[in-house]
Amino acid sequence: MSASIAMAESSRSGGHALLDGAQTAWDMLSEEQMQKPITTGCEELDTILGGGIQCKAVTEIGGIPGIGKTQLGIQLAVNVQIPVQYGGLGGKAVYIDTEGSFMVERAHQIIEGCIADLFENFEHRKQSLVCPDILQPNSFLANIFYFRICSYTEQIAAVNYLEKFLEEHQDVNIIVVDSITFHFRRDFDDLAMRTRVLGGMSSKLMRFAKKHNLAVVLLNQVTTKFVDGSFQLTLALGDSWSHACTNRIILYWNGNERHAYIDKSPSLRSASAPFQVTSKGIRNVTSNCKRVRMM
Amino acid sequence: MGSVILWIPFIITSGIENCSRQPPWFNGLELLEDAKQNKHVLPSGCEGIDILLEGGFRIGQLTEIVGPSSSGKTQMCLRSALGVADMNLGSVFFLDTCNSFSSNRIASMINQHTATSVEEDGETRVKRIMSRILCQSVYDIFELLDILRQLENRLSYQEKSNGNSIRLLIIDSIATLVAPILGSKNSQGRMLTISTGILLKRIANDYNLSVLVTNQMVGGQRGHLKPALGESWKSIPHVQLLLSRDKGSTICGISILKHTTIGSGRTGKFVIHN
Repeated sequence: MSASIAMAESSRSGGHALLDGAQTAWDMLSEEQMQKPITTGCEELDTILGGGIQCKAVTEIGGIPGIGKTQLGIQLAVNVQIPVQYGGLGGKAVYIDTEGSFMVERAHQIIEGCIADLFENFEHRKQSLVCPDILQPNSFLANIFYFRICSYTEQIAAVNYLEKFLEEHQDVNIIVVDSITFHFRRDFDDLAMRTRVLGGMSSKLMRFAKKHNLAVVLLNQVTTKFVDGSFQLTLALGDSWSHACTNRIILYWNGNERHAYIDKSPSLRSASAPFQVTSKGIRNVTSNCKRVRMM
Repeated sequence: MGSVILWIPFIITSGIENCSRQPPWFNGLELLEDAKQNKHVLPSGCEGIDILLEGGFRIGQLTEIVGPSSSGKTQMCLRSALGVADMNLGSVFFLDTCNSFSSNRIASMINQHTATSVEEDGETRVKRIMSRILCQSVYDIFELLDILRQLENRLSYQEKSNGNSIRLLIIDSIATLVAPILGSKNSQGRMLTISTGILLKRIANDYNLSVLVTNQMVGGQRGHLKPALGESWKSIPHVQLLLSRDKGSTICGISILKHTTIGSGRTGKFVIHN
């Protein structure tokens, strides 16, 4: 009884009644502007994304096989670890692998390329800005928490377990799921149940993104759909899944170049940018070397 | 699902409490008085939509915006929030289920809109408008019911016609909350959906605010898209609007699927500025 009287007094005394947990847009604006995005390694791609992959949002990246989704996923898991002194977030990464496409040797190569570029960009500093032990490939690899998933039940269990995991590891700044669709495409007979399960999973991932202030990157495959008399490529898992992400980026081939296109975003305008997959990882397209598409 | 049983007595008793506060029936004249005094129309912030809806969103009604992915639903919600806050009609409460609320986007929309009064400078105007928009993240239908109950409690203690009272409640999108529970063989999912709808409509009517929800579309027969959430949700909103947008275009088409006073099938257009 006394609690309700106190509440009535506080709401009468001034201002609007704020419910617990609600924030005004003005407070959120200053928080959002201080948020550092995760760089992708390619400057043009970073520009159309507003600096990089945003934290507190779920980004879905889809494309045909071979376009570079896993490469981009590994690059983001590495770039999130760039120390704060070099302009990064200095956080750790969780990599959930459902297809088995994560190659440790490739990750090592990407890390070496990233560290080499950091030294090149900051070479005017005589000394290293951070302790040299941090900028070693082994310590970068140690900061990627890798989960190998072999069935959809394991995937659901992993997402449920992440809740406890993220409480214990507060410095995780990115979760990469590669790919989110693989196990859900084959084993489900009841499509309505699949929609329910996927909906529950995406809500949980959204909650993690908001609560622990991290970026969630979901890699998705494509499938063909019979629309208007012809077969078209669309992202897998149907129309109901297309609403489960905050931002969506589609990777595609344009001639001999790889491009990324922003398909859905509440705050970024539609644009596309070219990028390149090199031995060092994802980089800008340099005009004098065009990669030949491997058939 | 055991916690669902707890909600049934809550809904029944809160209905009884409501009855004991005031006589449960009105005659036509009292309803007309109430409509004239309280149930105004909130402008949507977009001329195209206001012309189509003959004023905008009516207070006391639940409006549903349906559309395929990336058709402008969130943009329309942000624009409405902006419009209501700018014209000092009251506060806006935005319940965000898919992390799509972007205060940067609202700030850039404010800077594109011309100011109504020349005396205010850009920064104060942004602060004034954005302090009236409250946002909260919800990821669960049970959380939503809890928040709506808390909101109802607060509103019942607040004085009426307070300049800062909430006039617009936006839920973007309700489909992400309801989809995980709907569709199984037992009926608890449908019960929760309908209870949520009834609670939203009651809050809209008793506390004089307008509720705006967005819904997704799912595949229906022969590849046509239809609104999600099925038959149980279909009859709940007062007004249903369908959005469509061609890929790469900034013009959104809007058509009326269901309305209390305007014929369905009417169409309009509005533009999303970058």
